Amino acid sequence: MKKFLSIAALCVFFAATLFFVTGTAQADEIKMVGVITVIELAGKDATTATVTLKDNKTGENVVITINDELTLDKLKDHRIALDDEIRCKYKVIDGKNVSSYFRKTAGC
Amino acid sequence: MNRITLTLALLLVGGVAVSSFAEVHPGTEYIEKNGYNGPETCEECHPGTAAKFLETVHWKHASKVTNVDNLDPHKEYGMKNRIYTMCNGNDVVNNLKEIPKSPETGKSKFSGCNTCHPGNHLSDVGSTGPEAEKAIDCLVCHSSDYDYRNLKPFKDEQGRIVMGQDRSVKAAMSVGKPSTKNCMTCHEAAGGGVLVKRGFMLSKKTDVHAANGMVCVDCHKSKDHKIPTGFDPNNWANDGVRISCADCHSDQPHKDAAYNRHTAKIACQTCHIPRTGGAVAKDFTKWEQSSDKFYEPATLKKEANETVPVYAWYNKTVANEPHFIGPKGSRKDGKSKIYPFKIFLGKAYYNAKDGQLLAMDFAPPMSNGDTLAGVASAAKTLGIKDYKPVPGWQTIYFGSNHMVTKEKALNCINCHAINGVIPFRELGYKDTEIKRLTNPDIYFRKMLKKQEEDW
Repeated sequence: MKKFLSIAALCVFFAATLFFVTGTAQADEIKMVGVITVIELAGKDATTATVTLKDNKTGENVVITINDELTLDKLKDHRIALDDEIRCKYKVIDGKNVSSYFRKTAGC
Repeated sequence: MNRITLTLALLLVGGVAVSSFAEVHPGTEYIEKNGYNGPETCEECHPGTAAKFLETVHWKHASKVTNVDNLDPHKEYGMKNRIYTMCNGNDVVNNLKEIPKSPETGKSKFSGCNTCHPGNHLSDVGSTGPEAEKAIDCLVCHSSDYDYRNLKPFKDEQGRIVMGQDRSVKAAMSVGKPSTKNCMTCHEAAGGGVLVKRGFMLSKKTDVHAANGMVCVDCHKSKDHKIPTGFDPNNWANDGVRISCADCHSDQPHKDAAYNRHTAKIACQTCHIPRTGGAVAKDFTKWEQSSDKFYEPATLKKEANETVPVYAWYNKTVANEPHFIGPKGSRKDGKSKIYPFKIFLGKAYYNAKDGQLLAMDFAPPMSNGDTLAGVASAAKTLGIKDYKPVPGWQTIYFGSNHMVTKEKALNCINCHAINGVIPFRELGYKDTEIKRLTNPDIYFRKMLKKQEEDW
């Protein structure tokens, strides 16, 4: 009986793990174009930042988490700045909108 | 054992320290003490450099061009004055200016091709003399701590439009060899957006050279600020110095003799740059309104690594017709190799009176979408009075010279197959040759051995 319970517990554990892992991996990618209204960056050595984009279509503010090195660098030296229009893709991971694509729409 | 570990650790730390030290540009103490005064400060140690810089393509946005058809050999060509459909404007007709106010918002903005010029606009593209020398923005290319908030146009007290620069001591203290970031400040967003024009991203993920820690200027090694380039059919201006893969890799770079035999007729890029990207097509005759109510040319674009190249013979000379800019060459001319190209089609106005492509000043259409007003403004600047604008398409072949891969390079199977990537028939091969070239017999055992090794 004890052995049966242990196996059952293990099965439940693996099933739960599988559910959460695949749930995260398969999170839908959301696309948007919006204008930067807020940039929050904790100093020059920050490894993450949050940027608020005002969605062009809905007018709603969307807070995006930036973790990639190149975009962080562009935020730090102001190549990306307030009022820039951004084309962004993100996934909802652990309740955060984590960016996978974050580029200015403008060029020369 | 511990002693060996300690020695290795010390060597490692020492190496890192030396390499870090080597990256510190001499003279920062002088800058800290005396402040930074633009090129005058740089000239303390690099006398004569500013004057020489004024002779380069980066300053002139033009040079004499000897490998392109239908150009005057005595004139200089480049983004200063070229008319083609990736940009349709140029530094002359689309000079940096404050555009007319949007009828919808009442707002204006600054725009112009020469925003990507390392001067201050008062000393503009191709200017000469002491004022031009003082206007050079050395730090936009050489500082790793440049504050890009300063790099934007503004009106001075006399109402002149000035391009801002970061001339702070802080920026000057981090002066050094240009990084990829410095180059991409201008080259990344050319043609109307990030990775639009050339469609390549020089990153560790996308390029084997970048993955090995190399930056742009490791290949594009300059002397007197003359920067060597390849032979992109659409990149005409050059400093008279050229680079090729063989400069570092020789023309026999493979361990495999069969692959080395290919180098006589197949450019390195053909196998090692299997994808391209960026803008596919643009329409300059009808612009689309953006969220800020200004207008931009309508552009179809792909990601950096999403497009299959077009393959053609290329002998490094270029056909330049109103509806076509692309490689010249053939299988039999003894000079050509098969190269990959990014193909692009642009729609713009042609002059029905002489068939020539017309240029556009972006200010009018950017404000209100009136593209014909943009053509009229450009025609006025260029002194063209007799014209009748009609829409038409131009095909442009761009060189595909970045995003080099070793692991994903094409191998025998990719090309020598009935559904292979190389269009043998279009490249001038006969049916009997094609039958032989697309039969696995020519590589079967070799690729089978590789397949076994891989698994």
